[in-house]
Amino acid sequence: MNPIAKIRRYARYARYAIVVSIASIALSGCATSPPPCDGPQTKNLYTAIDHVKASLDSGCAAHFAAYYDDLLTIAEGDPKPENKRIFSEFLVWSTDEGLLSTRQAKEYYNRYFNVKFVSLASDYNNCSHTCPRRDRVMLDMQRELGDKERGLLKISLDNAGYYRADELYQEIELVLEATCTACSAR
Amino acid sequence: MNVLSPVLRLDSAGAWRPVGLILTLPLPALVQAQSSDGAPTIRLFPTTVVEDLRQTSSVAREMETGLQEVIGRLDQQQQLYNESKCDGAESDPGCQRLAKQIGATYLEMLGIMEERLPDMEHTVNNTRLSLEKRLRSELGNKMSSWTLQESLLGSNSSGTKPPAPTMRGRSGMRLSERFRQYYQLVASSASNSDQSLAVLASDIYLDMDETSELIARTREEIARATLIEQLNQSFGTITPEMMEIVGGVKSILFGDEADYVQVAGPPPGSFEEEYRSPLEN
Repeated sequence: MNPIAKIRRYARYARYAIVVSIASIALSGCATSPPPCDGPQTKNLYTAIDHVKASLDSGCAAHFAAYYDDLLTIAEGDPKPENKRIFSEFLVWSTDEGLLSTRQAKEYYNRYFNVKFVSLASDYNNCSHTCPRRDRVMLDMQRELGDKERGLLKISLDNAGYYRADELYQEIELVLEATCTACSAR
Repeated sequence: MNVLSPVLRLDSAGAWRPVGLILTLPLPALVQAQSSDGAPTIRLFPTTVVEDLRQTSSVAREMETGLQEVIGRLDQQQQLYNESKCDGAESDPGCQRLAKQIGATYLEMLGIMEERLPDMEHTVNNTRLSLEKRLRSELGNKMSSWTLQESLLGSNSSGTKPPAPTMRGRSGMRLSERFRQYYQLVASSASNSDQSLAVLASDIYLDMDETSELIARTREEIARATLIEQLNQSFGTITPEMMEIVGGVKSILFGDEADYVQVAGPPPGSFEEEYRSPLEN
């Protein structure tokens, strides 16, 4: 091989090397570090909601459930009837932003702040659907009653609402016991 | 409005003839086709159920009246036996005579129960079966768990609610009084909404179910207890089982006040206008 061809060959290798180095530098420059997705550190609910909204907007949507729980904990520290509205508005914002479906937002709200039990959402008749899984349904309702205690009683100071939810739980337990006994007595 | 309805009886020629009039109480649950909030009315208390309840109360009262005197006598005899220090002195002729008297009164009690229980069983079973059919149809087959919940809450889910009867576990009450209260609650339920009627029907049904089972078991036991006591009469002894049965009958028929303890619920909160979220169901 003549020396000129050799030089040209080395030059081509050098160009490849430079291109590869530039590409790798460029690639490493593009790879941003993942967002921290840390929870709100403040005790003020409004500030905490602003923080959570910013985090959700910057790629932390997968942490929605944890953020919601953080917000509930913060609200427990400053209970007031107005908290219901604050949480409702936050959930409406979440649906507007496409982070939650309307159904999910309703479930998040009603589980904590409504007397009605989302655990009872079913379109099939009691004899065929609810009775065969009555124990499971009652267990789910019991857990939800705990969430309602948090949302209605500890966060919103809605004693009457929680008292009614507790009573409704007992009524459902009684009526389902009777209905399911009647269903199975065919 | 109360109305007088004719009572018909099948005569020997096979025709229905009016033999009297009965006062029929208004039953809103039956009369109304729709409740005020537009939801379909639950038809849980047809006239037959109401009449069965009234009859059960009356049969229970008759049985209580018959047993009250005998049980009172048994108590007195037992007291005399204890005061005479007959425990441990069973061979004493006086004590033997007392024991025989107690045994005879006990047999009398069993006899009254044996005579009255079939009527009681019949009316209780009638009520239970009618309610069972209604519950299955109205709450079991026509409703989902969600519609049942909505029906129990009525149009008002904001937290306030008119006081509803709390019935379960009322062991400290006379049987007849319990059925009389059931009857009154159902018959005068002009202000009762569907939600409390569903709870009431469930409560009565479960109570009837238990009572029915208890009556059946008691009837089985009576024959056995009668035989044993007839044998005991020959020996003039009082068995612990005998006193246990008397105690059981007393608590079933006349109640046990000590068992009727209510625990207060949390205080209701303020009834101010509540915030309603657009997300609420």
